[in-house]
Amino acid sequence: MRMFSKHVSSLLAAYIDGQLRAREARRVTLHLEHCEHCRRERELVESGMSAVEHLSLVHAPDAIWTAIEAALPSRPLWQTQRNPAWRFVFATLVFILLAGAGFWVFEQRIHRPGMAWELRPIQGTPVVNAKPVHGAVRVGAGEWIETNSSASVTVKLGEIGVVDIGPNTRLTLVTARPSENRLALVRGQIHAKISAPPKLFFVDTASGTAVDLGCEYSLHTDEEGSGQLDVTQGWVAFQWKGQESLVPAGASCLTLPKAGPGVPYFDDASGTFKRGVYNFAAAKFEGPWLEVILGDARVRDTLTLWHLLPRVGVRDRERIYSRMAALAPVPAGISRAKVLRLDPETLKRWKDELAWVW
Amino acid sequence: MIPLSDREVAAEIIESCRAGDREALRVLYDLYKDRVYSIALHFFRGDQPTASDITQQVFLKLMTAIGKFKGEAAFSTWLYRLVVNACQDAVRRRKRVGLTTQRDRLEEIAGKSSHEDDYAHAQSVQLVRAAVSALPPAFRLAILLRYFDDLSYEQIAQALHCSMGTVASRLSRGHKLLAEHLKRLRWETK
Repeated sequence: MRMFSKHVSSLLAAYIDGQLRAREARRVTLHLEHCEHCRRERELVESGMSAVEHLSLVHAPDAIWTAIEAALPSRPLWQTQRNPAWRFVFATLVFILLAGAGFWVFEQRIHRPGMAWELRPIQGTPVVNAKPVHGAVRVGAGEWIETNSSASVTVKLGEIGVVDIGPNTRLTLVTARPSENRLALVRGQIHAKISAPPKLFFVDTASGTAVDLGCEYSLHTDEEGSGQLDVTQGWVAFQWKGQESLVPAGASCLTLPKAGPGVPYFDDASGTFKRGVYNFAAAKFEGPWLEVILGDARVRDTLTLWHLLPRVGVRDRERIYSRMAALAPVPAGISRAKVLRLDPETLKRWKDELAWVW
Repeated sequence: MIPLSDREVAAEIIESCRAGDREALRVLYDLYKDRVYSIALHFFRGDQPTASDITQQVFLKLMTAIGKFKGEAAFSTWLYRLVVNACQDAVRRRKRVGLTTQRDRLEEIAGKSSHEDDYAHAQSVQLVRAAVSALPPAFRLAILLRYFDDLSYEQIAQALHCSMGTVASRLSRGHKLLAEHLKRLRWETK
């Protein structure tokens, strides 16, 4: 009979989901009664379907709406489209705005290369290029901003975000272009909230460069480069001479003079674990503190362990690998030998998989 | 506030969106953001910046293209067509600049379950994500649309610009491949 000669593999999902018409569903039922091959296929499809149930809905980060709002026109379109009188007003406004924008661009090109940031004092009297500032001003590349113990300012970086500059801070704006916004933080504290695509905002310090990967974070440093990075949203990459620490939301990272970024750790890790990380770094990643770190590590602390792999000797690397494998399953294709050899592609793939639990 | 079920969007909201009302967009955004983001995130193997970009693009496109939404299909179907187009465009862009669809950056995955501290559960979740990531993009999209919004085969077909038969076939083959990938991954991790 024809109904038994043609396999029904391509209909199985629809059959299981009840999406077939009654007649077609009956044909599949009859076929399955007589076809071992299709019955095995049905088991596989059902198994695949129940596996997908493991995927969970992930909440969209708040920064997305901020970026959408920034990209939307500032006035609802209907206010300018329904009434012809409004159209005239709108056209006049557009003309004035364009003329103003043209004049502003002309001014900027003459007086200052690149874009300008808008600086507003929050409290006290900040200083821009050694001159006290009392109201909102524009600052451009090459200009210095300094606050004393009673001053703080907020700086709007065009549409990409806001940087709050705390007391006793000195920094300079290095680059202000649509493709790169960079400042050099000599000392003090900043809090940055960036809603732009990753790698548009950079902060240079004496111990490395913080690269925004779409995030909110606080960074403080002294002139030697000792400091700390605390990330509250998204990711920050801290880079120094080819070394990189990737710090996700809820994690921090110490920065050390002439040693670059430290090893990141989650703020909710145990005090023992964090003490271990601090002391192990201070001991130049040698000695008994590793035992403390490994003993107190949780699944998400594989963030710290993964960053330790390239910083320790081979024997300690083996111990770290074993502990990581015990905490989270080693994904297919990640070989122990390649991890111990610090094969870049293997480390990257493992990091990508581990990031799901960070 | 207009009461909305998860599956029905009031005509007034759509109309307000057409008029450029950002409050109306916010209502739609709140209703669909997590599903749009989750589909993009799982499609791009947990690449958070790309998933954020896709979500942003989809809702901005929604504002400019909603005039073309005639209400012939469900609003969600129309919205997911924007998601599918955005994902496919991103894949093409990545190919052009020589990137694969594999993740190339570290991202935060919000909403982690506390159960993930449990080794066995973490292992299952990790393996399923890896197996879904390994599926061909067309199968992956069909499964994600079916799973994250429980779209009917007809709605998935409209979102993917294909026939219902193709959807049925992709879901069958996709789930079968997924089970086979999982079997292999479980064996390899033993």
